[in-house]
Amino acid sequence: MRSFSLILTALALAHSHLSASTIDAEIFLKKAVTEVAHIADASENSSALAAKVRPVLVNVISFELMTRRAVGLGWKKFNEAQIKEATDLFATLIIRTYSSKFTPGEFPEITYKPAILVAPERIEIPTRILYRGSQYEVIYRQEKSVDRRITDVVIEGVSLIATYRTQLDAQFKQGGAPAVIGALKKAVAVRQ
Amino acid sequence: MKNTKLELSVGLFVVLGIAAIIYLTIQVGTGSMLSGDTYLIESRFANAGGLHSGSTVLLAGVTVGRVEGIRMESADYSAIVTLRVLSSLRLPTDSMASIKTTGLIGDKFVSLSPGADDTYLKSGSRITLTESAVDLESLIGKMAFGTIEKEKAQQDTK
Repeated sequence: MRSFSLILTALALAHSHLSASTIDAEIFLKKAVTEVAHIADASENSSALAAKVRPVLVNVISFELMTRRAVGLGWKKFNEAQIKEATDLFATLIIRTYSSKFTPGEFPEITYKPAILVAPERIEIPTRILYRGSQYEVIYRQEKSVDRRITDVVIEGVSLIATYRTQLDAQFKQGGAPAVIGALKKAVAVRQ
Repeated sequence: MKNTKLELSVGLFVVLGIAAIIYLTIQVGTGSMLSGDTYLIESRFANAGGLHSGSTVLLAGVTVGRVEGIRMESADYSAIVTLRVLSSLRLPTDSMASIKTTGLIGDKFVSLSPGADDTYLKSGSRITLTESAVDLESLIGKMAFGTIEKEKAQQDTK
Protein backbone atom coordinates (compact mmCIF):
# COMPACT_ATOMS: atom_id res chain seq x y z
CA MET A 1 0.00 0.00 0.00
CA ARG A 2 2.84 2.31 0.97
CA SER A 3 4.78 1.57 -2.21
CA PHE A 4 1.60 2.11 -4.24
CA SER A 5 1.13 5.59 -2.76
CA LEU A 6 4.84 6.31 -3.36
CA ILE A 7 4.42 5.40 -7.03
CA LEU A 8 1.33 7.58 -7.25
CA THR A 9 3.18 10.51 -5.68
CA ALA A 10 6.12 10.04 -8.06
CA LEU A 11 3.79 9.93 -11.04
CA ALA A 12 1.95 13.04 -9.85
CA LEU A 13 5.27 14.86 -9.36
CA ALA A 14 6.50 13.81 -12.82
CA HIS A 15 3.24 14.99 -14.37
CA SER A 16 3.30 18.30 -12.54
CA HIS A 17 6.97 18.80 -13.58
CA LEU A 18 6.03 18.02 -17.19
CA SER A 19 3.03 20.38 -17.08
CA ALA A 20 5.10 23.08 -15.40
CA SER A 21 7.78 22.94 -18.09
CA THR A 22 5.30 23.19 -20.95
CA ILE A 23 3.36 25.98 -19.20
CA ASP A 24 6.61 27.89 -18.56
CA ALA A 25 7.49 27.51 -22.24
CA GLU A 26 4.08 28.87 -23.25
CA ILE A 27 4.41 31.85 -20.90
CA PHE A 28 7.93 32.54 -22.21
CA LEU A 29 6.76 32.49 -25.82
CA LYS A 30 3.66 34.63 -25.23
CA LYS A 31 5.72 37.25 -23.39
CA ALA A 32 8.33 37.31 -26.16
CA VAL A 33 5.78 37.57 -28.95
CA THR A 34 3.91 40.39 -27.18
CA GLU A 35 7.16 42.30 -26.63
CA VAL A 36 8.17 41.93 -30.29
CA ALA A 37 4.68 42.92 -31.49
CA HIS A 38 4.82 46.14 -29.42
CA ILE A 39 8.25 47.01 -30.81
CA ALA A 40 7.00 46.30 -34.34
CA ASP A 41 4.01 48.54 -33.78
CA ALA A 42 6.17 51.42 -32.55
CA SER A 43 8.69 51.17 -35.40
CA GLU A 44 8.34 53.43 -38.40
CA ASN A 45 9.92 51.04 -40.94
CA SER A 46 11.45 47.57 -41.25
CA SER A 47 15.09 48.66 -40.85
CA ALA A 48 14.23 50.57 -37.66
CA LEU A 49 12.34 47.51 -36.45
CA ALA A 50 15.32 45.23 -37.18
CA ALA A 51 17.60 47.45 -35.08
CA LYS A 52 15.14 47.81 -32.18
CA VAL A 53 14.08 44.19 -32.02
CA ARG A 54 17.56 42.64 -32.04
CA PRO A 55 18.36 43.04 -28.30
CA VAL A 56 15.00 41.44 -27.45
CA LEU A 57 15.36 38.58 -29.92
CA VAL A 58 18.84 37.70 -28.69
CA ASN A 59 17.26 36.80 -25.34
CA VAL A 60 14.39 34.92 -26.94
CA ILE A 61 16.07 33.03 -29.78
CA SER A 62 19.21 30.94 -29.47
CA PHE A 63 20.99 32.18 -32.57
CA GLU A 64 24.12 30.20 -31.63
CA LEU A 65 22.25 26.89 -31.70
CA MET A 66 20.20 27.94 -34.72
CA THR A 67 23.33 28.75 -36.76
CA ARG A 68 25.03 25.53 -35.67
CA ARG A 69 21.97 23.50 -36.71
CA ALA A 70 21.51 25.46 -39.94
CA VAL A 71 25.10 24.73 -41.00
CA GLY A 72 24.88 21.08 -39.91
CA LEU A 73 27.78 18.67 -40.12
CA GLY A 74 30.26 21.27 -41.42
CA TRP A 75 29.97 23.28 -38.18
CA LYS A 76 32.64 21.08 -36.56
CA LYS A 77 35.22 22.47 -39.00
CA PHE A 78 34.56 26.11 -38.06
CA ASN A 79 37.14 27.84 -35.85
CA GLU A 80 36.17 30.21 -33.01
CA ALA A 81 36.34 33.38 -35.15
CA GLN A 82 34.29 31.75 -37.92
CA ILE A 83 31.68 30.55 -35.40
CA LYS A 84 31.28 34.07 -34.05
CA GLU A 85 31.08 35.66 -37.50
CA ALA A 86 28.64 33.08 -38.90
CA THR A 87 26.36 33.37 -35.84
CA ASP A 88 26.30 37.15 -36.07
CA LEU A 89 25.57 37.11 -39.82
CA PHE A 90 22.88 34.44 -39.46
CA ALA A 91 21.16 36.42 -36.69
CA THR A 92 21.23 39.56 -38.83
CA LEU A 93 19.85 37.64 -41.81
CA ILE A 94 16.94 36.17 -39.84
CA ILE A 95 16.07 39.46 -38.14
CA ARG A 96 16.18 41.47 -41.39
CA THR A 97 14.24 38.86 -43.35
CA TYR A 98 11.38 38.65 -40.87
CA SER A 99 11.35 42.37 -40.01
CA SER A 100 10.57 43.11 -43.64
CA LYS A 101 7.39 41.01 -43.36
CA PHE A 102 5.85 43.24 -40.68
CA THR A 103 3.70 46.26 -41.33
CA PRO A 104 3.73 48.78 -38.45
CA GLY A 105 0.32 49.10 -36.81
CA GLU A 106 -0.89 45.65 -37.82
CA PHE A 107 -0.93 43.14 -34.97
CA PRO A 108 -0.97 39.46 -35.79
CA GLU A 109 -3.78 37.52 -34.12
CA ILE A 110 -2.17 34.49 -32.51
CA THR A 111 -3.99 31.42 -31.19
CA TYR A 112 -1.76 29.31 -28.96
CA LYS A 113 -2.36 25.57 -28.81
CA PRO A 114 -1.14 23.43 -25.87
CA ALA A 115 2.63 22.95 -25.78
CA ILE A 116 3.97 19.45 -26.44
CA LEU A 117 6.99 17.92 -24.72
CA VAL A 118 8.43 16.04 -27.72
CA ALA A 119 11.63 14.99 -25.92
CA PRO A 120 12.90 15.56 -22.36
CA GLU A 121 14.76 18.67 -23.55
CA ARG A 122 12.49 19.84 -26.38
CA ILE A 123 9.12 21.56 -26.38
CA GLU A 124 6.96 22.47 -29.37
CA ILE A 125 4.29 25.15 -29.23
CA PRO A 126 1.87 25.01 -32.16
CA THR A 127 0.14 28.29 -33.01
CA ARG A 128 -2.22 29.64 -35.62
CA ILE A 129 -1.36 33.13 -36.80
CA LEU A 130 -3.77 35.39 -38.62
CA TYR A 131 -1.90 38.30 -40.17
CA ARG A 132 -3.15 40.72 -42.82
CA GLY A 133 -5.94 38.40 -43.87
CA SER A 134 -3.87 35.24 -44.19
CA GLN A 135 -3.71 32.33 -41.81
CA TYR A 136 -0.51 30.43 -41.03
CA GLU A 137 0.23 27.33 -38.94
CA VAL A 138 3.43 28.10 -37.04
CA ILE A 139 5.27 25.81 -34.61
CA TYR A 140 7.87 27.25 -32.23
CA ARG A 141 10.56 24.81 -31.05
CA GLN A 142 12.16 25.57 -27.70
CA GLU A 143 14.93 23.80 -25.80
CA LYS A 144 15.70 23.64 -22.11
CA SER A 145 19.46 23.45 -22.72
CA VAL A 146 19.37 27.06 -23.93
CA ASP A 147 17.00 28.39 -21.23
CA ARG A 148 13.86 27.58 -23.24
CA ARG A 149 14.90 29.91 -26.03
CA ILE A 150 13.53 29.29 -29.53
CA THR A 151 15.74 27.06 -31.68
CA ASP A 152 13.55 26.61 -34.77
CA VAL A 153 10.36 27.94 -36.32
CA VAL A 154 8.23 25.75 -38.56
CA ILE A 155 5.89 27.71 -40.85
CA GLU A 156 3.22 25.70 -42.71
CA GLY A 157 5.32 22.56 -42.18
CA VAL A 158 8.55 24.11 -43.47
CA SER A 159 11.37 24.34 -40.93
CA LEU A 160 13.59 27.41 -40.94
CA ILE A 161 16.59 25.31 -39.90
CA ALA A 162 15.99 22.62 -42.53
CA THR A 163 15.61 25.26 -45.24
CA TYR A 164 18.89 26.95 -44.38
CA ARG A 165 20.69 23.64 -43.75
CA THR A 166 20.03 22.53 -47.33
CA GLN A 167 21.58 25.75 -48.65
CA LEU A 168 24.44 26.19 -46.20
CA ASP A 169 25.48 22.53 -46.31
CA ALA A 170 25.80 22.85 -50.10
CA GLN A 171 27.96 25.96 -49.60
CA PHE A 172 30.13 24.15 -47.06
CA LYS A 173 30.70 21.24 -49.43
CA GLN A 174 31.80 23.70 -52.13
CA GLY A 175 34.23 25.80 -50.14
CA GLY A 176 34.13 25.05 -46.41
CA ALA A 177 33.53 27.66 -43.71
CA PRO A 178 34.68 30.66 -45.85
CA ALA A 179 32.04 29.75 -48.48
CA VAL A 180 29.30 29.60 -45.82
CA ILE A 181 30.33 32.96 -44.38
CA GLY A 182 30.57 34.44 -47.88
CA ALA A 183 27.05 33.24 -48.73
CA LEU A 184 25.68 34.67 -45.47
CA LYS A 185 27.40 38.03 -46.13
CA LYS A 186 25.84 38.16 -49.61
CA ALA A 187 22.38 37.31 -48.27
CA VAL A 188 22.67 39.98 -45.53
CA ALA A 189 23.81 42.60 -48.08
CA VAL A 190 20.79 41.87 -50.28
CA ARG A 191 18.45 42.52 -47.34
CA GLN A 192 20.00 45.87 -46.35
CA MET B 1 11.49 -44.79 -62.08
CA LYS B 2 14.11 -42.57 -63.73
CA ASN B 3 11.37 -40.44 -65.29
CA THR B 4 9.58 -39.99 -61.93
CA LYS B 5 12.82 -38.80 -60.30
CA LEU B 6 13.44 -36.35 -63.12
CA GLU B 7 9.86 -35.04 -62.96
CA LEU B 8 10.14 -34.65 -59.20
CA SER B 9 13.39 -32.69 -59.53
CA VAL B 10 11.92 -30.44 -62.21
CA GLY B 11 8.76 -29.91 -60.11
CA LEU B 12 10.85 -29.06 -57.03
CA PHE B 13 12.98 -26.67 -59.07
CA VAL B 14 9.86 -24.92 -60.44
CA VAL B 15 8.31 -24.65 -56.93
CA LEU B 16 11.55 -23.21 -55.52
CA GLY B 17 11.73 -20.77 -58.43
CA ILE B 18 8.16 -19.59 -57.84
CA ALA B 19 8.84 -19.26 -54.09
CA ALA B 20 11.95 -17.17 -54.82
CA ILE B 21 10.01 -14.91 -57.19
CA ILE B 22 7.22 -14.43 -54.60
CA TYR B 23 9.78 -13.67 -51.87
CA LEU B 24 11.64 -11.16 -54.03
CA THR B 25 8.37 -9.50 -55.13
CA ILE B 26 7.31 -9.03 -51.51
CA GLN B 27 10.74 -7.77 -50.46
CA VAL B 28 10.99 -5.29 -53.33
CA GLY B 29 7.35 -4.25 -52.86
CA THR B 30 7.81 -3.42 -49.18
CA GLY B 31 11.24 -2.04 -49.91
CA SER B 32 12.81 -4.01 -47.12
CA MET B 33 15.89 -5.08 -49.05
CA LEU B 34 18.84 -3.52 -47.32
CA SER B 35 22.26 -5.05 -47.52
CA GLY B 36 24.10 -5.32 -44.22
CA ASP B 37 23.18 -4.84 -40.57
CA THR B 38 20.52 -2.32 -39.66
CA TYR B 39 19.06 -0.59 -36.60
CA LEU B 40 15.79 1.14 -35.84
CA ILE B 41 15.22 4.81 -35.03
CA GLU B 42 11.99 6.77 -34.72
CA SER B 43 10.90 10.13 -36.12
CA ARG B 44 8.03 12.23 -34.88
CA PHE B 45 6.02 14.08 -37.54
CA ALA B 46 2.96 16.30 -37.26
CA ASN B 47 1.83 14.87 -40.59
CA ALA B 48 3.17 11.71 -42.27
CA GLY B 49 0.63 11.79 -45.11
CA GLY B 50 1.69 9.84 -48.20
CA LEU B 51 4.44 7.92 -46.42
CA HIS B 52 4.05 4.13 -46.06
CA SER B 53 5.93 1.09 -44.84
CA GLY B 54 8.75 0.45 -47.27
CA SER B 55 9.18 4.10 -48.30
CA THR B 56 12.81 4.99 -48.95
CA VAL B 57 15.06 6.80 -46.47
CA LEU B 58 17.68 8.90 -48.23
CA LEU B 59 20.74 10.80 -47.10
CA ALA B 60 22.54 12.90 -49.72
CA GLY B 61 20.42 11.14 -52.33
CA VAL B 62 21.68 7.70 -51.31
CA THR B 63 19.31 5.04 -49.96
CA VAL B 64 20.32 4.38 -46.37
CA GLY B 65 17.13 2.82 -45.04
CA ARG B 66 13.43 2.11 -45.28
CA VAL B 67 10.31 3.03 -43.36
CA GLU B 68 9.57 0.07 -41.12
CA GLY B 69 6.21 1.23 -39.78
CA ILE B 70 3.99 4.21 -38.98
CA ARG B 71 1.84 4.57 -35.90
CA MET B 72 -0.15 7.23 -34.13
CA GLU B 73 1.01 8.78 -30.85
CA SER B 74 -2.33 9.10 -29.10
CA ALA B 75 -1.06 11.68 -26.57
CA ASP B 76 -0.63 14.46 -29.15
CA TYR B 77 -1.99 12.89 -32.37
CA SER B 78 1.41 12.96 -34.03
CA ALA B 79 2.75 10.29 -36.38
CA ILE B 80 5.67 8.18 -35.19
CA VAL B 81 7.58 6.76 -38.14
CA THR B 82 9.98 3.89 -37.46
CA LEU B 83 13.00 3.91 -39.76
CA ARG B 84 15.32 0.97 -40.40
CA VAL B 85 18.72 2.38 -41.32
CA LEU B 86 22.10 0.84 -42.05
CA SER B 87 24.18 0.28 -38.93
CA SER B 88 27.20 1.79 -40.67
CA LEU B 89 25.32 5.11 -40.62
CA ARG B 90 26.13 7.22 -37.53
CA LEU B 91 23.66 10.05 -37.16
CA PRO B 92 24.37 13.00 -34.82
CA THR B 93 21.58 13.59 -32.27
CA ASP B 94 20.57 16.89 -33.90
CA SER B 95 19.97 15.26 -37.29
CA MET B 96 16.79 16.25 -39.08
CA ALA B 97 14.24 14.10 -40.86
CA SER B 98 12.04 15.61 -43.58
CA ILE B 99 9.26 14.06 -45.63
CA LYS B 100 9.90 14.96 -49.27
CA THR B 101 8.29 14.11 -52.56
CA THR B 102 9.95 12.76 -55.70
CA GLY B 103 8.98 15.47 -58.17
CA LEU B 104 5.66 17.27 -57.75
CA ILE B 105 3.33 14.31 -57.41
CA GLY B 106 5.76 11.45 -56.91
CA ASP B 107 6.29 9.07 -54.01
CA LYS B 108 7.03 10.36 -50.55
CA PHE B 109 10.34 9.53 -48.91
CA VAL B 110 12.21 10.44 -45.74
CA SER B 111 15.27 12.63 -46.20
CA LEU B 112 17.84 12.65 -43.40
CA SER B 113 20.18 15.53 -42.83
CA PRO B 114 23.02 15.06 -40.31
CA GLY B 115 23.57 17.71 -37.65
CA ALA B 116 26.66 18.90 -35.80
CA ASP B 117 26.30 17.22 -32.38
CA ASP B 118 29.13 15.09 -31.02
CA THR B 119 26.69 12.50 -29.68
CA TYR B 120 24.97 10.01 -31.98
CA LEU B 121 21.51 8.49 -32.22
CA LYS B 122 21.31 4.98 -30.80
CA SER B 123 18.96 2.18 -31.72
CA GLY B 124 15.48 3.18 -30.50
CA SER B 125 16.30 6.93 -30.33
CA ARG B 126 13.80 9.42 -31.66
CA ILE B 127 14.41 12.31 -34.09
CA THR B 128 12.23 15.24 -33.04
CA LEU B 129 13.72 17.84 -35.38
CA THR B 130 11.49 17.00 -38.30
CA GLU B 131 9.68 18.53 -41.25
CA SER B 132 6.32 17.03 -42.06
CA ALA B 133 4.84 16.35 -45.46
CA VAL B 134 3.85 19.64 -47.08
CA ASP B 135 0.20 19.59 -48.05
CA LEU B 136 0.55 20.80 -51.66
CA GLU B 137 -3.18 20.68 -52.35
CA SER B 138 -3.87 22.92 -49.37
CA LEU B 139 -1.16 25.40 -50.42
CA ILE B 140 -2.41 25.47 -54.02
CA GLY B 141 -5.95 25.93 -52.71
CA LYS B 142 -4.87 28.88 -50.58
CA MET B 143 -3.09 30.48 -53.53
CA ALA B 144 -5.90 29.85 -55.99
CA PHE B 145 -8.90 30.65 -53.84
CA GLY B 146 -7.41 32.79 -51.05
CA THR B 147 -8.44 32.36 -47.45
CA ILE B 148 -11.79 32.97 -45.82
CA GLU B 149 -10.27 35.72 -43.69
CA LYS B 150 -8.85 37.50 -46.75
CA GLU B 151 -12.21 37.53 -48.49
CA LYS B 152 -13.89 38.66 -45.29
CA ALA B 153 -11.36 41.52 -44.96
CA GLN B 154 -11.96 42.52 -48.57
CA GLN B 155 -15.72 42.54 -48.00
CA ASP B 156 -15.26 44.67 -44.87
CA THR B 157 -13.33 47.30 -46.80
CA LYS B 158 -16.06 47.59 -49.45
